[in-house]
Amino acid sequence: MLRLSPFTLHQPKTLDEATQLLAQHAPDVRVISGGTDLLPNMKLAQTKVTHLVSAKFLEELHGIERTETHVRIGAATGLKTLAEDPDVLELLPALAYAASRIASPQIRNMGTLGGNISLDTRCRYINQSELWREALGGCLKSHGTECHVVPGGQGCVAALSADTVPSLIAYGAVVELASDKGLRRAPVSELFQQDGTWHVRIAREELLVAVEIPIPSPQTRVAYRKWAVRQSIDFPLVSVAVRLDVADGVLAGGSVVVGALGPRPRVLTLERLVGSTLDEKLAQALGQMVYDRARPLPNIPYDAEYRRERMVVEVRRAVRSLVGLPERPLTPQA
Amino acid sequence: MTAAIKPENASQGRPYAVVGARHGKPDSLDALAGLAKYTDDIALPRMLHAKILRSPHAHARILSIDTSAAEALEGVYAVVVGEEMPTRYGVIPWTPDEQALAADKVRYVGDAVAAVAAISEDVALAACKRIVVAYEVLEPLTTPEAALANPQNKIHESNKHGNITKQVQLAFGDVDGQLAAADLVIEGHYEFHGSTHGALEPHCSLAHVDGRGLLTVWSATQVPHYLHRELAKVLEIPTHKIRVIQPAVGGGFGGKSEPFDLEFVAAKLAMKTGRPVKCLYTREEVFLAHRGRHPFDMHYRTGFTKDGKILAVDGKSVLDGGAYSSFGLVTTYYSGQLLGSPYVFGSYRFDSTRVYTNKPACGPKRGHGSVQPRFAIEVQLDKAARALKIDPIELRRRNFIGENTKTINEFHIGSNGFLECLALVETASDWKAKHAKLPRGRGLGVAGSTYISGTNYCIYPTDLPQSGVQICLDRSGRVRVFAGTSDIGQGSSTMLAVVAAEELGVHLDDVRVVAADSDLCPVDLGSYSSRVTLMAGNACLNAARDLAGKVRQAVAKKWGCEKRDVILADRRAQRLDDPGVWLDITEAFILAEIEFGTMGSTGSYQTPREDVHGEYRGGTIGASPAYSFTAHIAEVSVDEETGEVRVENIWCAHDCGRALSPVLVEGQIEGSVYMGFGETIMEHHHVMPSGLKTDGQRRDTGPGKEGLLAHSSLLDYRMPTTLDTPDLHAGIVEKPDPRGPFGAKEAGEGPLHSVVPAICNAIFDACGVRVDALPVTPAKILAGLRAQRTGGV
Amino acid sequence: MSSSDLNAPAPVLVNLQLNGEATSVAVPPHWTLLELLRYGLGQTGTKQGCDKGDCGTCTVRIDGEPQLACLTLAVDVRDRSVETIEGLGTGGEPHPLQEAFARLGAAQCGFCTPGMLMSATAYVDDLTLQDNPQVKRDDIAAALAGNLCRCTGYTKILDAVEEVAHSVLNRQRELAESTAEDE
Ligand SMILES: Cc1cc2nc3c(=O)[nH]c(=O)nc-3n(C[C@H](O)[C@H](O)[C@H](O)COP(=O)(O)OP(=O)(O)OC[C@H]3O[C@@H](n4cnc5c(N)ncnc54)[C@H](O)[C@@H]3O)c2cc1C
Ligand code: SF4
Ligand code: FES
Ligand code: FES
Repeated sequence: MLRLSPFTLHQPKTLDEATQLLAQHAPDVRVISGGTDLLPNMKLAQTKVTHLVSAKFLEELHGIERTETHVRIGAATGLKTLAEDPDVLELLPALAYAASRIASPQIRNMGTLGGNISLDTRCRYINQSELWREALGGCLKSHGTECHVVPGGQGCVAALSADTVPSLIAYGAVVELASDKGLRRAPVSELFQQDGTWHVRIAREELLVAVEIPIPSPQTRVAYRKWAVRQSIDFPLVSVAVRLDVADGVLAGGSVVVGALGPRPRVLTLERLVGSTLDEKLAQALGQMVYDRARPLPNIPYDAEYRRERMVVEVRRAVRSLVGLPERPLTPQA
Repeated sequence: MTAAIKPENASQGRPYAVVGARHGKPDSLDALAGLAKYTDDIALPRMLHAKILRSPHAHARILSIDTSAAEALEGVYAVVVGEEMPTRYGVIPWTPDEQALAADKVRYVGDAVAAVAAISEDVALAACKRIVVAYEVLEPLTTPEAALANPQNKIHESNKHGNITKQVQLAFGDVDGQLAAADLVIEGHYEFHGSTHGALEPHCSLAHVDGRGLLTVWSATQVPHYLHRELAKVLEIPTHKIRVIQPAVGGGFGGKSEPFDLEFVAAKLAMKTGRPVKCLYTREEVFLAHRGRHPFDMHYRTGFTKDGKILAVDGKSVLDGGAYSSFGLVTTYYSGQLLGSPYVFGSYRFDSTRVYTNKPACGPKRGHGSVQPRFAIEVQLDKAARALKIDPIELRRRNFIGENTKTINEFHIGSNGFLECLALVETASDWKAKHAKLPRGRGLGVAGSTYISGTNYCIYPTDLPQSGVQICLDRSGRVRVFAGTSDIGQGSSTMLAVVAAEELGVHLDDVRVVAADSDLCPVDLGSYSSRVTLMAGNACLNAARDLAGKVRQAVAKKWGCEKRDVILADRRAQRLDDPGVWLDITEAFILAEIEFGTMGSTGSYQTPREDVHGEYRGGTIGASPAYSFTAHIAEVSVDEETGEVRVENIWCAHDCGRALSPVLVEGQIEGSVYMGFGETIMEHHHVMPSGLKTDGQRRDTGPGKEGLLAHSSLLDYRMPTTLDTPDLHAGIVEKPDPRGPFGAKEAGEGPLHSVVPAICNAIFDACGVRVDALPVTPAKILAGLRAQRTGGV
Repeated sequence: MSSSDLNAPAPVLVNLQLNGEATSVAVPPHWTLLELLRYGLGQTGTKQGCDKGDCGTCTVRIDGEPQLACLTLAVDVRDRSVETIEGLGTGGEPHPLQEAFARLGAAQCGFCTPGMLMSATAYVDDLTLQDNPQVKRDDIAAALAGNLCRCTGYTKILDAVEEVAHSVLNRQRELAESTAEDE
């Protein structure tokens, strides 16, 4: 079997205890929530730490709360809970849908929102055994000096692959982070940086406590679309969220958020299109926009050129679903 | 909804009590309760764990191996290296090119170099890391083109012809003349990509030497007999000092049909340490061990008359063999030899070359060697049908080879239900209303095929029987069957129980099958080439008939009637002419034991000695006692905006001769169709850097990357889930063949073949795009659609 | 599988309900539940197909939910209930799903089967808790979409689960009707 190298598991009961443990052991420490990303990575010796701090018993990290203005979701909330929660389904359907498309039923019973947001980046050259990576000669994210995705590149461009992130950004979500120095908040849109070795701007000492999402107005429509080869188990190969803000029957703003590119999601705003009518032309325009401005890399294991084309189609289909057009056009598109 | 499909004239009554009844596998309750013991479920006292150090280089010479630091580690009991097991072996005795652990050279990333037995896997792994191997790195050859272009850079120094492991050229009739005379010649280039078995149980082996010096090896194998022989050869101990036991096996599909490094390693380390040693592969090691489907590069020319008769078939194939021969000699023959039916070829020629490359070795995957050429020919036929404006099913009918005949390459065809298979899928799929008539984006495709039921000759030259079965009756009315057969989930033990129960008049539950233990069971050659039902079934039938005769005789004596007036059925001995007169079967068995002494018998099977092969060199390979036939129709929808193909339905009708257990036959059909579907649409055992042509993937050219497996996990090697799998409709056609037990042929591999071309032909029907290079990917569909719009092909 | 070794932290005591029985066991903190079950407790009914979350072979039910034993730390099941194939039914008294799987040929090699049955029982149990349960083949497929099977093409597995789901619901309805009549 695959081996986990020995570590100490801490199971704190309070936030204070947890943040102190993190501060004490950083950087040789990770939070473990559902463990569905951390443990495979540790088994492949891609992540090597000797202390784990469990998020399981921290009350502040659990539960979904609805206020007048926000939905607050604890970081340790399970993906299945998230996908089926009536408030989330009603107010944030794209997030519920994204959660429902993650991995497999068993993994959704284990994995959490916090873990998904902090999900390590993925790359065909890193999600491999030690033997494989040794044969490769390593890369910037393991023990090597070279990136195989962008030869000569200076930084790791492994792909952000978290299914929930694009819709969280589209909804304008904010995370709450705790450390021994106190609490801080950050919009999810600013949480990621262009460094695949550590792409979340969450310090090793920090704990993700909760996500707060403003309840969208009725004029805001958000859709998430994922494409992978299989209908289950697979990580996204294309991952896009589209937000359309509508006023008086025309576009008043919005964004397209694309995941599964490099370490950072690409956020494109729709200012230039304000005033557009809600029709197939808009779908085409948004498709063209992402085609021009977001480029999948040959990092995750599927043909990058096709992923680029597919991303465009998924954006169009997201738009169509939001403006009440049939998802597939009646006549084939060029 | 999925549903089994039935021939319209399916017979109502059955002539048999057990044969043909709808039963499951009696022994599956064990697995269902979690009680079945697979190899890794066995633990012995004082057991050690072994791990294997593997090469990070695709091609390198081993200069030295220093194991001292590993041996010094606490908890390490022994280390073994290649020099200690120098004997070369190979499942095909003519091509022994493997060593248990590489001694001179490593030939693919993952080749085994050394192994450690330690108190735990953790310690064994830590010790492996301390083994220092000095390599001289050689230029890796990861494509057949590179391997052929560099004959001086030999992957195996002792090989005669550069990197060619085998070439077969056979010709029957005047191919060039017939091609010249043909009204239509279809010429096509086809690529079949690599795929792997994906059995869910990783290989595992456990070995132990007892006080008398008997080495026992438990292993997840589908060929315990060949393992037994090769262990003796490599470990240099006589076979009688070795006992091989095959516990429950979690799937094989050809992936466990030859000896692997872990079996030798566990055995050698058990001998060195005097303790039981277990070695369990990681999933990645399973992908490295491979022996899966050979990538084929094929060029076919097929000549037709204007009414669709096949005048000539001319095929040329290059097989990408990987680092070792494995079954490759046979694969190379099969690539041409198994194409000779179900259609009449006016003339036929093939030229197949298997090439060594620095990649995991290819071998037999379900439908060994013949799935790839079947894809090519069935697409060729579809193209011809379009060109000649003949319905593709009709075209196939017109070329039907018939029953009790010979193929152009001189194989004897017995029963043949191919036309019935075609008719069944034609009706079930509503072909006439749908083919070429559905709205754009949706379509149907058909294809047909044939497969062997075992081969007439054993892998090694011998006149010994191919299969032996021993049966004992006991005083409680039970029947015990001892057989060397290897049940890997396909149900061979159930098959034996059915045969024995039918003959001896007991229920399925009354038969205990003890299988695949070389100390307890007579030899059977193993679960490969779809041989078990026909061969072990016949052996079992012989043994059972012998016993049944004695039981009937003893009962007849008591009743004062003739033996032929006594029948055994439903746990009774019964008078044929007076159903009111009967005895409980237990009493009948006891009467027989009183009369004859302890009730036991043996039966064996040897292939018939007439008609066993074609009269030319190589004419033995691919010759089988009986052939199964299959027809598939696939229904697909193509999303023209994304290029994605969704396979909606697959109908498969299969002539298995006689369905001894219809539920199990359906299971084999469904499983085969599933597997063929998976490899057509999503699976790819892909070794970098040869990706461009087949996967649409970027060509990875960096020096460190050659020979690395792109998809070495069950995450990246995408096997279809419940949500991806089309509705599968299995139909059984029964054309009993006199050579099979109760007429049975095979069902385990045939039903995979034509699913691949059926899907591709359906794609063409749906959107006019031909995918001649597998796997089918959305990118290829989009490219085809684009070409269509710009007036290209 | 490993003994305590290589500077491993000391084993910790874990109390859990295993198939309804209170179980106490000392386990190294870096062991997964899968290792604990198979090599610590000799409960080898739960199988390992990939050991990293990709196949579903190791599925067990933790507090009723199907989860992956290979990605669960053994210490994390402290005070929780774990159900494995060993708790499902016996040879003499098989669970209806076991019986249907056997009769319909839904287990070929049987290696995916323990995990498959854990997902399937969870699906059937969930159904009985719903207000207006409907048996849909698509829902069954969705519930089993994290369990790979290489042998069956899933057809007979779906058949078996569908059949049992119907019969369980029918029995539940009959029971409800007869208690309604009694009242
Ligand atoms: C076979 C397979 C398929 C998968 N498919 C998908 C998929 O389709 N889409 C997808 O998005 N994901 C997928 N995943 C990844 C993973 O299951 C999910 O992303 C899941 O949401 C991770 O959550 P977790 O709680 O299990 O994370 P963990 O493994 O516990 O943690 C993941 C990372 O987040 C950090 N972390 C967790 N919680 C906190 C916290 N509160 N504060 C700070 N840091 C924290 C951890 O330290 C770790 O670095 C898949 C995984 C597997 C094994
Ligand atoms: S993007 Fe480059 S550096 Fe990062 S993991 Fe992949 S190969 Fe390594
Ligand atoms: S063994 Fe746990 S998911 Fe494969
Ligand atoms: S029965 Fe073999 S994997 Fe499912």
